[in-house]
Amino acid sequence: MMTFNRLTAPIGVLLASVVALNFLMLTAACGQSAQAPASDSTNAGKAVFSRANCVGCHKWHGNGGGGYGGDALSLRKTELTRDQIIETVGCGRPGTGMPFFTRGAYDEVKCHEMNRQDAGAQMPPEGGTFLRPKDIEAVADYVIAHIKGAGEPTYAECLTFFSSTSRVCDVYKTEPQNPDRATANTGKDQ
Amino acid sequence: MERSSGHTRMLTRACLLAAAGAAASVMGTLPVCAADQVNQERLLNVDKEPGNWLHHHQNYAAHRFSTLKEVNRDNVKNLKVAWTMHLGGIEGGGIWSHGGLEGTPIAENGFLYVTDGWGSVYKIDAHGGRGVLVWKMDPKTDRDWAGAVACCGVDNRGVALWGDLVISHTLDGRLIATNKETGQVAWQRTVADPDKGEVITGAPLIVKNMAITGVAGAEYGIRGWIAATDLATQKEVWRTHTIPGKGEPGSETWKDSDNAAAAGGGSTWVTGTYDPATDTIIWGVGNPGPDWDNAYRPGDNLYTDSSLALDATTGKIKWHYQHTPNDPYDYDSVAENVLVDIPGPSGPRKLALEADRNGFAYAIDRTTGKFVWGLPFVKKVTWTKGLDAESGKPIEYDPNKPVQTYVASVTPSRTNMETDICPGNMGGKNWPPTAYNPDLKLWYIPVIESCNRIKVEVATPDKLKAREFWTGGGPSQPFKITGSVTAIDVTTGKVAGKMETPFPNLGGILATPDLVFSGQPSGEVMALDAKSLQKLWEFNTGGGVNAPPMTFTVDGKQYVAILVGLGGAWDKWFIDATPELKKIQPGSMLYVFSL
Repeated sequence: MMTFNRLTAPIGVLLASVVALNFLMLTAACGQSAQAPASDSTNAGKAVFSRANCVGCHKWHGNGGGGYGGDALSLRKTELTRDQIIETVGCGRPGTGMPFFTRGAYDEVKCHEMNRQDAGAQMPPEGGTFLRPKDIEAVADYVIAHIKGAGEPTYAECLTFFSSTSRVCDVYKTEPQNPDRATANTGKDQ
Repeated sequence: MERSSGHTRMLTRACLLAAAGAAASVMGTLPVCAADQVNQERLLNVDKEPGNWLHHHQNYAAHRFSTLKEVNRDNVKNLKVAWTMHLGGIEGGGIWSHGGLEGTPIAENGFLYVTDGWGSVYKIDAHGGRGVLVWKMDPKTDRDWAGAVACCGVDNRGVALWGDLVISHTLDGRLIATNKETGQVAWQRTVADPDKGEVITGAPLIVKNMAITGVAGAEYGIRGWIAATDLATQKEVWRTHTIPGKGEPGSETWKDSDNAAAAGGGSTWVTGTYDPATDTIIWGVGNPGPDWDNAYRPGDNLYTDSSLALDATTGKIKWHYQHTPNDPYDYDSVAENVLVDIPGPSGPRKLALEADRNGFAYAIDRTTGKFVWGLPFVKKVTWTKGLDAESGKPIEYDPNKPVQTYVASVTPSRTNMETDICPGNMGGKNWPPTAYNPDLKLWYIPVIESCNRIKVEVATPDKLKAREFWTGGGPSQPFKITGSVTAIDVTTGKVAGKMETPFPNLGGILATPDLVFSGQPSGEVMALDAKSLQKLWEFNTGGGVNAPPMTFTVDGKQYVAILVGLGGAWDKWFIDATPELKKIQPGSMLYVFSL
């Protein structure tokens, strides 16, 4: 179960403008994966991001967010280094809903200088699947390359993640503005 | 083989009759058989065909009561599996790792129509003591699009029948009509928009050639509605928002300056009921959003957490009854309203019964919308000391207060940011349907006996984003949650019995003259004595029961059917309250029992 402990304070990624951000993201997407996904060295990490169900709480865009099951941290706003991400995926976050993904964590492999007994009630849940060290490094590389520091999600990023198989990206085509929210003045707005 | 050929002869005869009448409309490539046409006359008179189960809730009044009694108190101990069928639809999508089964099968003339969580419809021939798949209609739901904004699981609660069509919904917002004979899609219409956080999980209600659709998404900042689609023209007849527009009656109950009403929730994701005597649809409305930060939306927040009576022809609101004004607990009132007539001192009392997430069962006069009685049906309620005997409102409710605090020491608020509430935010009673035995006047509630912990996160307008959670906090599960089947005597408004269960009731109830059927998410399907609630029979399906049982006959023999496959909200958001259920595997299976 996710809880609300924020271990890092959200840092604002200062954006010169949305246009500039979009340009950057498009450039990044085109340069790295949209046109030649097979050549992106972080594709393996992207596959882990889906397979290990990181998307279940952090969402495809990594922003996580408060919700029914609690608050998964934003990987876009994270200040964690590659090594810290690797440790967090492997060991989970004690006292929160972030699971551990290393087989034997808190048993054969000490995490945060703790074993299962030391962790006690703070013991994080076990991931739905175990990941090998190479998988964990790959997913960390993916987070560093495509998610950390990336500002708000964009259409190009979404297409890169999903290809064109789903309408999940349509909402990012324009400003994420629900027309219903501007006004609620009639009963027939659909 | 014999039964099969006998059925063919019967169909042929029906088709010939239809052709002779020269009134058969042809939708697909096969002739339409008059005996299988479903119309308003049949939907109004389901008691004349007790071997069929034509409505999602069995009848328009949501009794989920079958008069079939081949299986009864004396012989239910001999009930055994007649046949099973594996279904599909457990794939993941969006934020969900797998789907589950919450549907009620529809039975007509020996055929079953069931859905899986992604909205595939299966027509199954149940003749001859076995199940044979006739066709499967896969709507190819956009899983990532819809699954990312489904708060509480990959769910579809079933179909309805109309004419020669099977009417169903998909999570990604469509209303689909499938030819009953061929399994081909006749037409489809987009009703809800996942781009706005809207998804559909409920079964359609058919009223006078219209399909009535409810919507989910109050955790994603939707403005809820109930919509009617004309099944002949495929056009929208009416759409009534559950949150009034500016200047409309009720809009004064949203007193903030951030236009909270425009994203104020009020989902309608459980199929409602219909009273033909007054041409009234009665439908439950869910929680306001953001769920746990009620200071963001001062005022009573109509018509959230209300039962709503609509003119079926126009969709106009006739009356409303609100259970938890300015709700800070996520206490939806989406539950079905069960329509019951009981003798009173001055003629029959026409009641609408609702078992609310907030832990109280209510009887409302369904002519006037006035409170008749209410009582707690769960073992523990902490958020209020009780209901006002006259109004039925929580006794701490103060209409002059913009932000309600109820029992302030336990109520989530901006000054009480982490707190434990009972019932927990799943309720009380969630979507799993109740059943009503009109002979015994007993109403059976599938209960989640629960408390949980709520953490408040202050909502601000900049946090409101399309397709992102809009909850103002979230629950966690430090407490064990159990369940019960609780019976209420509708003539007295008192609890008549409670059969406690180790796990919450996530499936719902079927009543027959002397039995009550239900299930457990740990796998058991059970039959209880209708009066004593003593357990008379149990079978472990080996899966998690997350759907209601129903019963039907084929060639005169009675069967009990139930879908088995734990999904929904529980195993993602609430599993820590029932750690034993972590071992229940995703599954998708139809069980059919007989003597």
